[in-house]
Amino acid sequence: MFNFAFNSFYEALYMNGHGLYVWSVVILVFISLLGFFIGYTVKIKKIKDKLNEPN
Amino acid sequence: MIKKFIHQFASPKTYLYQVSRFYKYIFYFSLIIYIISIIWGLFFTPEDFVQGNSYRIIYLHVPASFLSQTLYLAMAISSITYLIWRVKLAAYLIIAIAPIGAMTTFIALISGSIWGIPTWGTWWQWDARITSTLILFIMYLGLISLHNSFSNHEKADKLLSWLVIVGAVNIPIIKKSVDWWSTLHQSASITLTDKPSIDPVMLYPLIGSIVGFFGLVICLVLLSSKYQILHREKNKSWVKDYV
Amino acid sequence: MNPIRKKRIYSILFVLLFSVSGISLILYSLNSNLDYFFTPTELKDRNIPADKRIKVGGMVLSGSVERISSSIFFVITDYENSIKVEYEGIVPDLFKEDSGVVVLGNLRDKILYAEEVLAKHDENYMPPNIEINDDN
Repeated sequence: MFNFAFNSFYEALYMNGHGLYVWSVVILVFISLLGFFIGYTVKIKKIKDKLNEPN
Repeated sequence: MIKKFIHQFASPKTYLYQVSRFYKYIFYFSLIIYIISIIWGLFFTPEDFVQGNSYRIIYLHVPASFLSQTLYLAMAISSITYLIWRVKLAAYLIIAIAPIGAMTTFIALISGSIWGIPTWGTWWQWDARITSTLILFIMYLGLISLHNSFSNHEKADKLLSWLVIVGAVNIPIIKKSVDWWSTLHQSASITLTDKPSIDPVMLYPLIGSIVGFFGLVICLVLLSSKYQILHREKNKSWVKDYV
Repeated sequence: MNPIRKKRIYSILFVLLFSVSGISLILYSLNSNLDYFFTPTELKDRNIPADKRIKVGGMVLSGSVERISSSIFFVITDYENSIKVEYEGIVPDLFKEDSGVVVLGNLRDKILYAEEVLAKHDENYMPPNIEINDDN
């Protein structure tokens, strides 16, 4: 069940020609998640800073 | 007692303090599960007998599609809660969830398109499953821009809740589209009633990736609702104490 | 329960009922128009004009695939009725005998002249070695 499915690192990247599709989806998902996490963290920090400003 | 508990938890203040307490546990737990499942699925499962290696996109596509529908249901439940009990937190949740729902639907559409190229031989077809998912994406965008166009938040919340409820009909349609009509998209591999039609060695990492992605999306919803609360209640005295 | 809340619940149920029945009526009247493709059996009793492009879906009949220079001939079947297909071009990798296919083209004299051939796979996922035992 835990056998490495490929013979080499290059093969794992290439995936018999399907690597391009698989990896572009992986990149899309990770960039979206990262972007949203960073986006909300920044937004929260900004509004906290604003609220902390002495009036 | 239950009523008291709900009232207490439904106050944005208690919610915010509870979120800060649990957030990092949920985040690290689901991040680890998600990354392990993705690596497991991409490298340590055998290839599929029909689709070869391109089937590995399933580990990214299915969690996103599942969440795109689940988040809409969460919005619908929040809408009903808000309309009946006028719970403010529920209203904040609706607009907090919408952008994240749009993001997961976008991932589902794009990853499905990319998956279609090596398998179906096309990246877009107007079949019932794909079209109803596109409608879901447009609905999310519509709800967000509608809310942004209002200056009166309370009016926006009410209108949004009603629209979310009306649009909820689309969710069972997406779910059942592959059974009701002939589609290019195949029917579901995992159902509540039947044995999964996906081999166990491929199924376990898939379940892991769904659980992990679910947890990460919950974290995003927590962050986004935290922002909504701070933004909407910025004039309240407790917010000053909180920040 | 508080009468105001009761009223709200009723109005929510009313709106839900309204939108569900509205959408159901629309879907019911569109019904077969929402189908992505016809099966050979559905086409049997239908008169399709030759200039109308249609999509036909089914399985590629085993042993029917024939390649002559750049053209490919095969038969789509739903195991009750079949349609002959002629296509010039590249078929997707997943196109093979005994697997799903959707063809877009014009039907003339019982032959479907294809413009586009798409592969349709089912919801089964499994490692390759299980299938090999089955074949031999």
